[in-house]
Amino acid sequence: MKLRMFDIKLSLLATLCGGVLTFLLAGCPAGHSGISGTLLFDNRPLAGASVEIYLRAGKDRSTLPFATAATDDQGRYRFELPAGQYYIIGKLRQTLDDGRIRMLMAECPTNPVEVSVGIQVLPPFSLREMGRDGALVPLPGTGVEGRLTSGGAAVAGAYVYVYTEAASGLMGPSYGEAVKTLADGRFRIELPAGRFYLAARKRDAGGRMGGLAVGDLNGTWADNPINVTAGQMIVLGDFPLQAVDAAVRAEKLASGTFEATGTGFFGRVVNQDQRPIAGIYVFAYLDSRMVGKPTYISAPTVDDGRFKLFLGSGGTYYIGARSTFGGPLEPGEWVGTWDGQADHGVAIVDGSSQSLGDIIVREVW
Amino acid sequence: MQRLSLCGLLLIGLMFGPQSVSAQTLTGETIWQGQVEVREAVRVERGAILRILPGSVVTFHAVGLEVAGTLEARDAVLTGLNWPGLVLKGCDEKTALDGVTVSGAKLGIQVVGGAPRLRNCLLRDNEVGLELRQKSDAQVQDCRFVQNAKVGLFIKDGTTAAVNGNRFEKNDRYAVYIYRASPAQFSENELTANGTAVIVAYAGSDPQLRGNRIYGNRTGIRVERAARPSIIDNDIHDNETGIDLDRRADPLIEANRLDHNKRGVAIAYSSYPQLHGNDFSGNDVAVYLEYQSAQWEKQRGQQARDAETPTRSAFAGQNAAPVSAPAPVRLDGRIDASGNFWGGAATAELATLGADGNPTFIDDGRDRPTFDEGGATWPLDIVIYAPWSSTPQTVGRKQL
Repeated sequence: MKLRMFDIKLSLLATLCGGVLTFLLAGCPAGHSGISGTLLFDNRPLAGASVEIYLRAGKDRSTLPFATAATDDQGRYRFELPAGQYYIIGKLRQTLDDGRIRMLMAECPTNPVEVSVGIQVLPPFSLREMGRDGALVPLPGTGVEGRLTSGGAAVAGAYVYVYTEAASGLMGPSYGEAVKTLADGRFRIELPAGRFYLAARKRDAGGRMGGLAVGDLNGTWADNPINVTAGQMIVLGDFPLQAVDAAVRAEKLASGTFEATGTGFFGRVVNQDQRPIAGIYVFAYLDSRMVGKPTYISAPTVDDGRFKLFLGSGGTYYIGARSTFGGPLEPGEWVGTWDGQADHGVAIVDGSSQSLGDIIVREVW
Repeated sequence: MQRLSLCGLLLIGLMFGPQSVSAQTLTGETIWQGQVEVREAVRVERGAILRILPGSVVTFHAVGLEVAGTLEARDAVLTGLNWPGLVLKGCDEKTALDGVTVSGAKLGIQVVGGAPRLRNCLLRDNEVGLELRQKSDAQVQDCRFVQNAKVGLFIKDGTTAAVNGNRFEKNDRYAVYIYRASPAQFSENELTANGTAVIVAYAGSDPQLRGNRIYGNRTGIRVERAARPSIIDNDIHDNETGIDLDRRADPLIEANRLDHNKRGVAIAYSSYPQLHGNDFSGNDVAVYLEYQSAQWEKQRGQQARDAETPTRSAFAGQNAAPVSAPAPVRLDGRIDASGNFWGGAATAELATLGADGNPTFIDDGRDRPTFDEGGATWPLDIVIYAPWSSTPQTVGRKQL
C-alpha cells in the first residue's frame, strides 16, 4: 500500500527531528554508549517509523519519551544514550490509499534494555497493526482456541498471552493480546493472520501481570510458533501448565539477579535510630535517576540488617534500599538511599568487595 | 518439593502429643488439631483444604502459612514470635476463619484478592493485623483488632471488602488505614483508644464511612492527600480531634454527631469539605482552621504538591504517591459549614450574635486573620456557619 505525501512529509520531519536529537544526544557527555537496531513490518525493513525511548515500562509510562528518532530507509535506528535502563517502542501512523488510518506499533521484545558501554545491537523486531484499544486487529473467524489444564484438570481464570516475538522469552509485558480462561478452562483468541507464540500463566492472586510465585501455574505452547492463516480458527486442544516449583525457582534466582559474584557491596540497613531492619532489598542502578527495574538486587536483609549486593562487573552504581520492589511507594514501606555522595553513586573496581557502611531507611506514611 | 497429604498422618500424630509440621506443600485434605508446631513454611495448594479444628494452637517458628486452596479454621490460635503471618491468595468464600486468634506476626493475615470470610477473629499484637489488597472482596465481620503496632486493618489496592461490626482498640498508630481503596461497606464498627482510628489517604480513596462509633482516640478520622470519603451518620466523640482534614481533603461530612472532642473538625492546607447536617456539641472548638487559605491555594497550592511528588523514582520523594486533586470548586476564602446544629449553648450565642459575628466555638480567620508560611503572610479562611439548625438533627437515629 502506498502512503500519501502528507505522511511522507511527516516521516521526513520525524527523521530530521530524530537526526537532530540523535546528534544532540551524541554531543552529551554520555560517552560512546547506546543502542541500534532495525524495525520491520511484514518481515521487511520499515522506513520512517518513530522509535521512542522511555525510562519506564508499560502503563507507568506517562511522560514524554526520553528520546525519539526515526528509522532510515533501511529501517535502521541508532541512539547514543547514557548508561542506564530503557524501554524502546516503535510506532508508525499511516494513511492508506483508501483513507483508512493504520497504526503500527510494538515494544522491543527485549525491554528493558540495559545500556552500559558501547553501542548495543538489538535484535530486529516487527511492528504490528493495532486496534483502537492497542490490541491486535483480528480477522473474522481467525485465531486459536483451546483449554488450559493442570494435572489433567481445567484451569479457570488463567491468562493466555499472545506474543509476536520470542526474543522476550515469552515473558513480560510485550505481548500483543491476553485473554482469561473461562470456568471450564477454555479460551478463544481472535487474531490477524501471522505467526504467534503462546504462553499461559495462572497466578494464585489472580492478576494478569507480575512475577510468578511458587505454586503459580506456567507454560508455553509446545509447538510454538503457531502460523495462523486468514479464516482459520486453529483448535489447539489441551494446553498443559506446570506449577512453579520452589526448588527450581530458588535455583533460578541463584543464577539470576541474586547470583553470587566476585564483585559487590556489603553493609547494613538501619533505621534512624540505628536499629537494624530486616526484610530490606538493596538495589544497584547504573542510571543516577534510579528509575525502573534495578540492575542488581540483594537478597533481603535478615535480623542483623546486613546485606550483600552482588554485581556483574565494576563501575559506578547508584544505591537505594526498599522493603519491596516494583510499583510506587505505599504507606508503611521502608525506603532509603546510600548517602555517601549526594547522587547516591559509588564506584567499585571489578573483582572487589566494598563496604557501604550503614544505609538508613525510614518508613513512609 | 515435598508434596504430602498429611491427613491420616497428622491424625495419628495426635495420639502422641504435639504435631510437628515440616511438609512444605499440602495437597488433598489436611487436618490440624491440638498443639501444632510449624518449623517450615507451609503452602496449601490450589484445590487442597486445610482444616484447623477448634481448640488448636498452631505455633509458627519464623515461618508462615500460605493458602492458595481453602482454609477452614474455627476457634483456633495461630501464633509465633515475629513470624511472617498467614497469606490467603485468591481464596474464595469457602475459606472461612471464625473465632481465630492471630498474634505475634509481622503481618497477621494478608488477603491477596479473592473473597474469604473472617468472623469473630482477634488480630492482636502484630505489626499489621490484617491487610486486604488486590481488589479483594473479603468480608470482615465482628472481629477485634487490638494492639497492632502499625496498622490494625490495612485496606488498599482497590479492595472492595465489607468491614462491619468490628472493634479496634489500642492500635498505636492507625487502627484502620484506607489507601487507594473504597471498601463496599465500612459500618457499625467501634474504634477506641487508638492513635488515629481511621485514616483515608490519597486520591482514589472514596469510601463511605457510615454508622461507626469513634471515641477516645487521638484522632478520630483523618482525611488527607486528595482522598474524598463520605463520612455519614457516625458518632465521633471524646477524641482529641474528631475529624482532621489535611492537604486537599474534600470529604462529605453529613449527619454525624461530633461532641466532646477538643477539636470537632480541624481543617488545613486547602481542604474544602461539605460540612452540613451534623450535630456539634460540647467540643472545645467545633471547627478549627490552620494553614488554610484560598489565596495560598491559588498561588502556591499546586506548586507545593508538585514539590512533594516523588518524581519517577521511589527514592527521590517523601511521599507514597503524588497528591493529585482537582482544584477546589470555590476559592473565595470561605468554608461553607451551614446547616449544622452547633449545640445548645452555641445556638443561644448565635441568637444574639447573628450571621456575621465571631462565634466562640469556631476558630478561624476572624480570630487569627493571617498566618506565615514560606516566607509570606497569608489570610486565613473563615467558616460560614449560617444558616444553622436550632435543633439537633441526628436525634432519634439508631444509637450504637
